[in-house]
Amino acid sequence: MVVTEQHDKITRPKPPVARFAQLSAAGTAVGLPMVSFLFILALWSVVGASGVVSEAIFPAPWSVWSATVEMWQNGTLQKDLCVSLGRAGVGFAIGATLGVTMGLLTGRVALVRTLLNPFLNLLRPIPAIALVPVAIVWFGIGEGSKYFVVSYTVFLTVWFNTHHGMQYVPETYLRAARSLGASRLREFLTVVLPAAAPHIFAGIRLGVALAFLSLVAAELSGASSGLGFRLQEARQYIRTDRMFSLLIILGILGAVADLVVHRIGRKLVHWEQG
Amino acid sequence: MEMDKGRVEVEDVVIRFGTRDSAVTALDRTNLVLEPGTFTALIGPSGCGKSTLMNAIAGFVQPAEGRITLDGAQIRGPSPDVGVIFQQYALFPWFTALGNIRFGLKQFGLSKREEIDRARAALDEVGLGAHADKYPQQLSGGMKQRVAIARTFATGAKVLLMDEPFGALDAQTRIVMHELLLNVWRKHRATVLFVTHDVDEALLLADDVRVMSQAPGRLIRHYAMTQPRPRALSRSGSDLLEIREDILGLLRPTTEPLPERAH
Repeated sequence: MVVTEQHDKITRPKPPVARFAQLSAAGTAVGLPMVSFLFILALWSVVGASGVVSEAIFPAPWSVWSATVEMWQNGTLQKDLCVSLGRAGVGFAIGATLGVTMGLLTGRVALVRTLLNPFLNLLRPIPAIALVPVAIVWFGIGEGSKYFVVSYTVFLTVWFNTHHGMQYVPETYLRAARSLGASRLREFLTVVLPAAAPHIFAGIRLGVALAFLSLVAAELSGASSGLGFRLQEARQYIRTDRMFSLLIILGILGAVADLVVHRIGRKLVHWEQG
Repeated sequence: MEMDKGRVEVEDVVIRFGTRDSAVTALDRTNLVLEPGTFTALIGPSGCGKSTLMNAIAGFVQPAEGRITLDGAQIRGPSPDVGVIFQQYALFPWFTALGNIRFGLKQFGLSKREEIDRARAALDEVGLGAHADKYPQQLSGGMKQRVAIARTFATGAKVLLMDEPFGALDAQTRIVMHELLLNVWRKHRATVLFVTHDVDEALLLADDVRVMSQAPGRLIRHYAMTQPRPRALSRSGSDLLEIREDILGLLRPTTEPLPERAH
């Protein structure tokens, strides 16, 4: 008895302590990543300043920064950003639209499913990079080949996830809808679509990540502008500082795009959390 | 004429599942009549086919032989004349409580104002007027099932099929739900088929208690309940207790005793 009472006294947090714990929890959510980020940056600076590794192989943070400023001042960075984001955006929009449409069809219409699903399974394992040579032959090194590679990659992923989501629409929802006098169209629009929406959004989020991946793959071989092209160009001049700068920019772009899509998804599929 | 609404007749219905070689007969020449406005409880061991019978009347499953009619017309698929209340509530999580009820009213092509008014009235009827704008995930199990009941009655369904609707609720909530269901049913006078495996629930609610045998399901006993509601099983000398013992005896497996199990 005595032991448990003592135990209670120890574990029950006092109000001021609780408030502090709450504050520090919020602090750690932002603070800890900052600490680890600064630590990596410091470590990188120390390695750079020590001269142990050649600048040509592993540039110091300040070199990467000045390379970024340089690319900005001569105007290539803005141009490359616009070009690459445009390609990723257009390719993504085409791929996602077609992917959702196709997924809804194969998920809903048995005949279309039987006809097309073998292709889904055959095409999915082919890496996007392997398509680049074909795309260049078909569309040249202009925008066409980039749109093709990006939209194709996004299309397959979004198709697969949408199709998958359609399989998970609970039978009870469909039965309830029909018993409540819903027409096929209303059942589709207000029951099937929302029920599959979480999966569709998961596919779209994956599609965004793959859009950047396949875009850079397409730009690396056979392009005359864009972040991927600039990366390739930097290799030819052995400008590792520029390469690092471009890699970091790609990382930030991808993370921001993912965050935006995630936020939009959570807004639209608001009933899924909790 | 009004009394002629909601008569369900199940005639020699056979339902099989699976392909020809490995077909399992779920219902074998089942006959059942639900008189308009009556409350029938269907009770039987799990897997006996009572849910299958309900699904057939709902139009979700088509019988291989025999026929099911509503007021003389054969049931060929789900329709708003036959409302269904599922154990898992089946509320749409992307609609609010009000939105769920409005979903069932869309078929009437009402004006938006009228549709909202009718949905609100239906929610008030089950005591959830204050929760109209909440989403199902924000409601308790009992509240969800109240919305589901309101949703089905609001469409003016002639027949209401309930598949163990209170099976997931705690005992206290069940008692409240029984009272609420009887009140709403009295007001709307729909024909109710209430599937349950809880004998007490059947005895407290129904006009007719039908007992189904092990699969393939056959209706083996019919009790016409004349006792006035509200009923209580605790009253000593009540014939309800006798019927209860009788049904429990029927439901007890006779072939082999269950092995002792630590639970």
